[in-house]
Amino acid sequence: MVKKKERTLNETESSIDLKSLIHENALFFDKLVELIPARFYLPDEKDKPWFQGLSKAEKASAKKQSRENIKKARRDRLDPEKSSKTTLDLLKENIEKEKSGKDSDAEEEEVEVRPIMPDVVDERSVTYEELRERLRKKIEELRGGRNSSGSEKKKNERNDKKGKKRKRDNGAEEKKVDTTANEKDNVEKDVEEAAKELTFSRVKLGDEDKHGKKKRKLSKLKELENAMKLEAAKKDPEKGEVIAKKHSWKAAMDRAAGIKVHDDPKLLKQSIQKEKKRHKKNAEKWSERVETTQKLKVEKQQKRSENIADKIHQKKMRRIAKREKKLLRPGFEGRKEGFINEGSS
Amino acid sequence: MARFHNSKTKVFVKPIVKKQQQQQQQQQQQPNVDHITGNKIPKSFVFSRGKLPGPLRQLQMDLRKLMLPYTALKLKEKKRNNLKDFLNVAGPMGVTHFLILSKTETSPVLRVAKTPQGPTLTFKIHEYSLAVDIAQSQLRPRCPQDLFKNPPLIVLSGFAAADEQLRLTTMMFKNIFPDIDINTVKLSSCQRIVLLNYNKDTKLIDFRHYSIRLQPVGISRRIRKFVQNHQVPDLRNLQDVSDFITKAGYGSESEADEEAATVTLTSDLSRVNRASTKSAVKLQEIGPRMTLQLTKIEGGLCSGEVMFSEYGNGGNKKKPGNEEGNEKEDGEDSDDDDEADNDEDMEESEED
Repeated sequence: MVKKKERTLNETESSIDLKSLIHENALFFDKLVELIPARFYLPDEKDKPWFQGLSKAEKASAKKQSRENIKKARRDRLDPEKSSKTTLDLLKENIEKEKSGKDSDAEEEEVEVRPIMPDVVDERSVTYEELRERLRKKIEELRGGRNSSGSEKKKNERNDKKGKKRKRDNGAEEKKVDTTANEKDNVEKDVEEAAKELTFSRVKLGDEDKHGKKKRKLSKLKELENAMKLEAAKKDPEKGEVIAKKHSWKAAMDRAAGIKVHDDPKLLKQSIQKEKKRHKKNAEKWSERVETTQKLKVEKQQKRSENIADKIHQKKMRRIAKREKKLLRPGFEGRKEGFINEGSS
Repeated sequence: MARFHNSKTKVFVKPIVKKQQQQQQQQQQQPNVDHITGNKIPKSFVFSRGKLPGPLRQLQMDLRKLMLPYTALKLKEKKRNNLKDFLNVAGPMGVTHFLILSKTETSPVLRVAKTPQGPTLTFKIHEYSLAVDIAQSQLRPRCPQDLFKNPPLIVLSGFAAADEQLRLTTMMFKNIFPDIDINTVKLSSCQRIVLLNYNKDTKLIDFRHYSIRLQPVGISRRIRKFVQNHQVPDLRNLQDVSDFITKAGYGSESEADEEAATVTLTSDLSRVNRASTKSAVKLQEIGPRMTLQLTKIEGGLCSGEVMFSEYGNGGNKKKPGNEEGNEKEDGEDSDDDDEADNDEDMEESEED
């Protein structure tokens, strides 16, 4: 494929640099390897100690052994005199050992095995690389298709207008359309078209209410008048139908948008009647209330004056009674009623 | 003494009672006016006229769930309830839209109407799928706890034509769901989306309902799952933690596609999605799927003059419930006569 050829060309040109590059990389990796303790990095040669099936005595002795091993290893590690073998050295030793081990085996087998191995590895790596490349390419294309300036600007404008900066469902349209590099232009065009035709839910932008002043509600009578006029206009032979249709569509749109439309004279009349009735009822209630208060007031006043008169009367009676009491002493013969012969002389 | 049918005291006000019980902790009923935008919140009733077969009843339930939270989930309707009864209850409860399902010989019909006098759009349902079917068809159906606590967003596509009826349809659907104030909306409350797509050639409207999920882009699957679930990963077969983090994965197929649908969040959404990082928007379908065709627009609530009709002037209305007689798709101006049988005293019937 194209990319591979490019790569080989590059390789031949920079073959000189390659060696130093590899050498540097090797040094870096060596340093890394040294950081890792040998027991994690190198495969374990002896079998893992298996403590499970042992008897108690055996377990105890194994534990003691391992403890001693640990102590010894620590002492060796921290001993300045003894030379410590880094992971790298151990790794090198291992490699040496393997080499020597393999040499002792039949050489023919090795030769056969070795060339096959790299091929297989190469094939695998090739396919792996290929897949990776393909994935990267796909991503790039999509990314490129999306980030072309034209569609982006338009999208931004529209989104600002509608105020929805977040959910870009036109992306879905993009996805579905295509992914190959040749049809990038088509994708752009489609995206633009699709974005033109999208409508989102109602968003409230912050500056709307500052401008709109509150529309005053027309009084019902006025509305009735308007409605009658409208009806008359509808019945007009010439333009009646046109007006009727236009009005009905407009009314439907307004109603769908939540605005109340009062265009039916019958309903308006009904509501006016209702209002009148309500008004009358309220007026009645009010007058009743006033009446009752008056009545109560009068009653109360009457009662009060009655009580006062009564009090005075009582007082007088008490005085008389008091006076009379004085004359009720035992043996009293009565009040003086004048001389016996007063009337005759 | 016979029990008189007093429509004024209809007791399918059960929904209010249930809602109060549920929301006792919240201490308030559903708000009538959106305290953020100041407009009235549109509420809806989803009910059926006439006896519906099983799947359609399920569809009705699905539609109710779709319209949550501003709808009566447990609305109980009786056979003898008229449209007028619903209207009477709708006024005090602040219900603004009716979604009425009914069945004719040819196909089920969905009517979207605005109370009290609003226009009625009649749609013929060509095909539909229930929510359970969709969930069964998916490998991992997703229904988080508070999916239905917030109203969905709505996106209409292909409706930008200049046709009057399309504009009216757009307007109706836009206003079924409450407004969004971009200054104060919380990202976590936008969890569902309803998509309506109009196909100019076939004149069919596709109705889809998705749940929205945000996933950060650029993080490998393992790390993302680990951060989301806080579950200790299984390191049994690995030599080192670095293996766990850097394990080469090809990435899912959809990752390449999501390059096109990423957004930059402006606020933290959850543990994983942080502000000003790229997140991919993933839609997973829930809820019913329908293919609708607009057949009729009436000026009143299931009455009034027919402003647009697919099948010639003054197409028949489709109300099999309380009426006798078969409906056919003839063009007949018999609206007023038949309407008068049912909805005699309907105040809201407009005259031509």
